[in-house]
Amino acid sequence: MPKLTIDGHEVEVAAGTNLIEAARAAGVAIPYFCYHPYLTVVGQCRICMVEIAGQPRLALGCATPAADGMVVKVESSERAREAREAVMEFLLANHPLDCPVCDQAGECLLQDHSMREQAATFATHMLETRRTFPGYERRLIGPHVVQNQNRCIHCSRCIRFTREISGTAALTYKSRGNSTFIDTFDGSAFDDPMSACAADVCPVGALTVREVRFRKRAWKLRSTPSVCPGCSIGCNVFIDHHERVVYRFTPRENPAINATWLCDHGRFLAESLNEQAYLDPQHRSGGLAVRVGWGEALAGIAAEIRSAGALRVVASANLSNEELFLARELFGRHFKGEIAVPVAPGEPRKMRNGRGEWLHATDPHPNSTGARRLGLAVVDGEGLSRFLYGGAGLTLILDAGAHPFLASPEALQLLRVGTTIVWARREHPAAHAATWLLPTPSLAGNEGTFTSSTGAVQRFAEAFAAPGSVHRTATGAMSPTCPTIASPWGPPGEARPLWVVLTALARALGVAALDLASPADVFAAMVRKDKAFAGLTWETLGGRQPHESFRERQHVG
Amino acid sequence: MEPVLLRARGVADSRSLAAYLAAGGYEGWKKALGMGPDAVTKEVLDSELRGRGGAGFPTGRKWSFVPKDHPGPRYLVCNADESEPGTFKDREIIEYDPHQVVEGVAIAAFAIKANTAYIYIRGEFVRWARILEDAIAEARQRGFLGKNVMGSGFDLDIWVHRGAGAYICGEETALLESIEGKRGFPRLKPPFPAVVGVFGQPTVINNVETLACVPHIIVRGAAWFAAIGRPKNTGPKLFCVSGHVNRPGVYELPLGVTFREIIEEHAGGIRGGRKLKAFFPGGSSAPVLTADEVDTGADFDACAAAGTMLGSGGVIVFDDTVDMVEVADNVAHFYAHESCGQCTPCREGSDWCMDILDRLVAGHGQAADPDTLLRICRFSSAGMTICPLGDAFALPISSIVNKYRAEFEHRIASATPLPQKKQPVLPWAGPRPGFGI
Repeated sequence: MPKLTIDGHEVEVAAGTNLIEAARAAGVAIPYFCYHPYLTVVGQCRICMVEIAGQPRLALGCATPAADGMVVKVESSERAREAREAVMEFLLANHPLDCPVCDQAGECLLQDHSMREQAATFATHMLETRRTFPGYERRLIGPHVVQNQNRCIHCSRCIRFTREISGTAALTYKSRGNSTFIDTFDGSAFDDPMSACAADVCPVGALTVREVRFRKRAWKLRSTPSVCPGCSIGCNVFIDHHERVVYRFTPRENPAINATWLCDHGRFLAESLNEQAYLDPQHRSGGLAVRVGWGEALAGIAAEIRSAGALRVVASANLSNEELFLARELFGRHFKGEIAVPVAPGEPRKMRNGRGEWLHATDPHPNSTGARRLGLAVVDGEGLSRFLYGGAGLTLILDAGAHPFLASPEALQLLRVGTTIVWARREHPAAHAATWLLPTPSLAGNEGTFTSSTGAVQRFAEAFAAPGSVHRTATGAMSPTCPTIASPWGPPGEARPLWVVLTALARALGVAALDLASPADVFAAMVRKDKAFAGLTWETLGGRQPHESFRERQHVG
Repeated sequence: MEPVLLRARGVADSRSLAAYLAAGGYEGWKKALGMGPDAVTKEVLDSELRGRGGAGFPTGRKWSFVPKDHPGPRYLVCNADESEPGTFKDREIIEYDPHQVVEGVAIAAFAIKANTAYIYIRGEFVRWARILEDAIAEARQRGFLGKNVMGSGFDLDIWVHRGAGAYICGEETALLESIEGKRGFPRLKPPFPAVVGVFGQPTVINNVETLACVPHIIVRGAAWFAAIGRPKNTGPKLFCVSGHVNRPGVYELPLGVTFREIIEEHAGGIRGGRKLKAFFPGGSSAPVLTADEVDTGADFDACAAAGTMLGSGGVIVFDDTVDMVEVADNVAHFYAHESCGQCTPCREGSDWCMDILDRLVAGHGQAADPDTLLRICRFSSAGMTICPLGDAFALPISSIVNKYRAEFEHRIASATPLPQKKQPVLPWAGPRPGFGI
């Protein structure tokens, strides 16, 4: 364990740690553009120059491993500061400085560094015409990525990403010297299953994501730690939102699962979180759906459950561990109902973790592992069909999106036979067969834990309560052509997370043990009851734990 | 002195194996196989042979850096990517005596126990690549190369690898990338090529002229070689004299002769009886020397003491008709074109220097320009870049600015203001570039 001094701070780091990471541990920020902890070190940008006592030349913070007794000067070295200022001058000499119209502004490493370190009196003698790449200023290089080569600082992070992480080697340098530019290898579309990550790792606005650019300024977005609902791998994400509208997912660092990456499939689920077709509980009698309050709905549902002859519950692998636990305890244990968790077949997905290994999944649900661990019966489409044929009585569908079979005419006929209670967020045919229809919010309005396919129990936090319906066009909630762009969201609705409804039902049904106040309490009860969760504590599961915003923004923003 | 490296120049049919054997060829290779690798390395170390490619690093020490216990293959690479402006010595050796290079490569490969050697030759040298390939084929036919060379149990294959026209691929790590089939980007060091080189294996890279010296050292002994030249700067050296001299060409002289002797005696003095103004002692990436410094010794240490470097030995001579601002502009053009574009100071700095010097030459200089040039050069050299190309453009340009500042001031004094750029009239009515979304 080498022990070194950085700007007067003594710090001990693991052997092999480079000076950038060692300085971070010591609370000193060494600026960088081309360095990325999950990509190879190339030392191209030259902004991380530091002075090491006893060495005549300046050293690179990214490529120099910490050594015992090393005395490193970052801010306190005039020589290193001068060199860094010169590198900034070189980089800015040919940079368009179009921050006011650049969508990266606010999360741009070049801008951040310029604001933080460059003297206000900084002046350059640059009189020459700035380098431009005519025809490369606004180029859609793939389905999701827009390139502006004029802004590129040639850090090669995107190239290294496609070579080392996604493995497609789609991007490359073309030409040489000052006219070097980034392009796809053979000029074809940048069609990479993780293409938007290339825009993530871009420290400047040279690569931006088509679906997100110009929708919201980066500094207006609030980030809530969450877990991607796209498949069972369980990549860690931030939900970036503003005024109850979700704008994007950005990867959140987790070396064991997704390092700092996110696949395009998961990333672009973000927009679907804004769909909120149902805003109030509804009661249907005689074919007529009537909006009702939660008080009336809970009392009515409690009465249905008490009087039900047979109780069948279709749970979902999209529900959190807490919700599945509550459903099992309340409906399975106290009311002797049958519970099935349908799992649909899905596309193969893969993700590379921090050790460079691929994680694979074909399960499209975020929490089927959790359902199995809670001992719930996991069924496929055929099993679900048999389950619904099992007899009339009361059927509870805790998530209408649990399985595509629920939207089939066959399933709807079966649901119309008895009394059906449906929880739904997005427009769903089963809603028309429901006696009671209860609105649930998206992942952004819920709180809980998912168990990933690797067995990691991961928390997701609530981004905002009371989601409203979002004015949408056919292409999505935040389309630039949206006519109501000034106010994309409507009045807050009455959607409540399932765990809230289940605990309230428990109270209404007199099951005091399950009348819990928060997902944390539910989790604690689950830890006591279930061996699979024994030993875990809510606070240590990630999610809202304090994180270094500097590090995260540097790598994924 | 008697010619050593260029002894075949003027001999009839000197490229053939027969002529080479008649001159005592491949005796060093036979002797080396009998000596064993360590003894060969020791002999080269004792000869104090220093690399002729430009850096002047002791060759024997470079060989000894290869890890002794490395389990995988090792490689020897002969750098024949002779691209430095004003340098044409390796071509001369290959033209007249290709077997000398092949023998040198063989001995060096044996010394580091490499069974595969590459000769990386610049793409424009089509003729000389063919000459080398013919020589290798001849040597292989005679059993000097291939499996179990001359019954010694040592296998050796030599491949000629042609470059694709980039100056930067003469830099050793960019050269390795190029052999691997990648873009010629210099690698970050450490690790050094002797530890992690081509295909991730230990690799030694030596210049053509360095390797051509090796057979002679083995045959005649280290003491003979060390007696030529000056202490620590031993052996014969090829000097490529070009520019305003009466007899430009390649001259083989012992290290340590003065540049005055090279220019005045061997190259026949300045053309048309004019006066010497300045010269590059070792290719255009070495800082320039003035006429007053012409008595500097042409060896590694004397050049270093004079604030320049011997480099490749490419002596480019300027007479008093030359405008040094235009020299700087010419140099800047070359390096801006050849910068690989990988790291910031060189990519941006070389181009910026070129733009400033173009403007100066066009008669629109500004008072701050010399200082701006010096600032750019200062922050593009001395460890600010991955490879020495930053130094290669920064040192000559800054030396010209420092030594001939008066010429810059003179141009600036008579400069006209920069013409105003035409501003496009908005809204833009021209064709819209790109797809635009």
